[in-house]
Amino acid sequence: MDFKLTEEQELIRQNMREFAEKYVDPIASEIDENSRHPVEVFQKLAEGDWMGIPIPAEYGGAGADYLTHALVVEELSRSCSSTGFTLSIHVGIACMLVLMFGDEDQKKKYLVPMATGEKLGAFVLTEPGAGTDVMAATTTAVLDGDEYVINGTKTFTSNGPTGDTYFVFAWTDKEAGRKGMSAFIVPKETPGMQAGTHFQKMGLRSSQTSEMLFKDCRVPKENLLGQEGRGLVMAMTGFDHGRIGISAQSVGIIQAALDESIKWSKERVQFGKPISRQQAIAWMIADMATDLDAARFLTYRAAWLKDQGVNFSKEAAMAKLFAAEAAMKHTIKAVQIHGGYGYVKGAKVERLMRDAKITEIYEGTSEAQRMVISGTVLR
Amino acid sequence: MPNIVVCFKWVIDEAYIRRGSSGELDFSSVSYKISDYDRNAIEEAVRLRNESGGRVAAVTVGSPEATKGLKDALSRGPDQAYFINDASFENIEPSQTSAILADVIGSKIEYDLIICGEGSSDLYTQQVGPRLAERLGIPCISFVLKLTIDGNHIIAERKVEDGVEVTAAPMPVLVTVLPDINTPRIPGVKDTLMASKKEVVNIAKDDLAQTYEPTLQTTAMTAASMERRCVKFGAEPGDIAGFVEALEKEGVLR
Repeated sequence: MDFKLTEEQELIRQNMREFAEKYVDPIASEIDENSRHPVEVFQKLAEGDWMGIPIPAEYGGAGADYLTHALVVEELSRSCSSTGFTLSIHVGIACMLVLMFGDEDQKKKYLVPMATGEKLGAFVLTEPGAGTDVMAATTTAVLDGDEYVINGTKTFTSNGPTGDTYFVFAWTDKEAGRKGMSAFIVPKETPGMQAGTHFQKMGLRSSQTSEMLFKDCRVPKENLLGQEGRGLVMAMTGFDHGRIGISAQSVGIIQAALDESIKWSKERVQFGKPISRQQAIAWMIADMATDLDAARFLTYRAAWLKDQGVNFSKEAAMAKLFAAEAAMKHTIKAVQIHGGYGYVKGAKVERLMRDAKITEIYEGTSEAQRMVISGTVLR
Repeated sequence: MPNIVVCFKWVIDEAYIRRGSSGELDFSSVSYKISDYDRNAIEEAVRLRNESGGRVAAVTVGSPEATKGLKDALSRGPDQAYFINDASFENIEPSQTSAILADVIGSKIEYDLIICGEGSSDLYTQQVGPRLAERLGIPCISFVLKLTIDGNHIIAERKVEDGVEVTAAPMPVLVTVLPDINTPRIPGVKDTLMASKKEVVNIAKDDLAQTYEPTLQTTAMTAASMERRCVKFGAEPGDIAGFVEALEKEGVLR
């Protein structure tokens, strides 16, 4: 057993740390306040080949492994989890869907510009009445000559207002049940597709989330991803990969909560000594550091399994479940350690606490992760 | 098209050094990095190569474990690296480092320009560059803020106490650079992945012309300590007198 990262992985992690300190830390509070997508950061991410790390070089990526991608999402999220997440969903779901299910033409046309960071991907699955219950979706795609016509309303689409390449899930044969959903690649500005209400969220505010409205949206037949009826499998596979990213994002949040808590507790003096020397505070920090390691190792294991080419659905769900719940728990503790100072706008822990909540909800709620895990272990 | 040699040192990242309970320095959880100003030296070498053509060779003296440092350096743009390594090279003195560098550079590498950082992040003796130039018998320009290649000459702007001095020297020449000279890049993912594919020339202790013995002896190393007395002084004359008195009492003023 070897817990050591390769020298390349360590260097890439350090370089991302430096990148995040230089370009992300100074604006993290502002983009949260203004709910702004930091275009300038994503241009720099593209220049440094950070936008397609696990994608082979022939398709515009860096050709590294998935663990390296997870390390980068973690370090980026440590500075700003919204930015980390936007990268995570772009690579982990959008790029990976085309890499795994797209044909050669689709890879050249859509994967290359995404992996180089020229275009941003979005995953369009959730509907107002279909969250965890994906089968309750109502959006349809009907073949009309050489085109599919998509109709329906999607919601909570990350990168909805800012995306370039959308992966839209719709029924091609509702009667076929689990084998009746298909996935389509819809480029921005396709007539009939438009971003609806842009949601103002509790946290994760620089990530742009909106409704996506489809009204007689026509896409050519060749924009069907893979085969008809495979949409549900693709969505679940996309989630498996995306969850490693959310786990890494959560690990970054916990690390940031720990960094802030250590720094603050050593500086803050009450009753004549730094609060880090009060057992009540010291133990909170001990628990935080322990859960951070546990979350990190679960995340790295899931990524490592992915890189070994073996099934990792259960492990990704476990990592995501544990890391997300730990992120929520310990960001609350981090605010507690900071007291009133942590409750004030602009305190990093305050943003971390708001950002943490979504990790228990999206790309499968914690309850959905327990469904995946129990479904496997009770099989 | 100049052949540029850039020297770098793989040092302990000072951010990871802790203070042990009895005042000793705790190196148990340290991480390493390329010495800060050496990153500027590498960046400058690569910038000049991109402008004027030629090649950049990165050279380091260190312990055989420093392979990550080589990859880090190569990910920043040099074409090849010379890795002069031996377990005994871990904590050597500037006089030894410069002698070993001169031994290897003088006998194995073609050079027109050698760039070093002004000083290392750990010892900051500022000796390796000038000593290396002396041993090679070439001019040395220190405190360099800006470098330009003009035919067979190098034109350097030096930071001096009351301004900037512009100096020219014929190549081959050695310069030591300040951090003001450029902003080192953050290597991209592909840069890091490609680094291990570049050529590394390994040079062992036995390949050197002779051995270079240390001249100094470290007797002890302890952490600087800070104690708070929690005494406050105002700006009134009486307070200032009290402040001076307190400094004398603590032995700060004698």
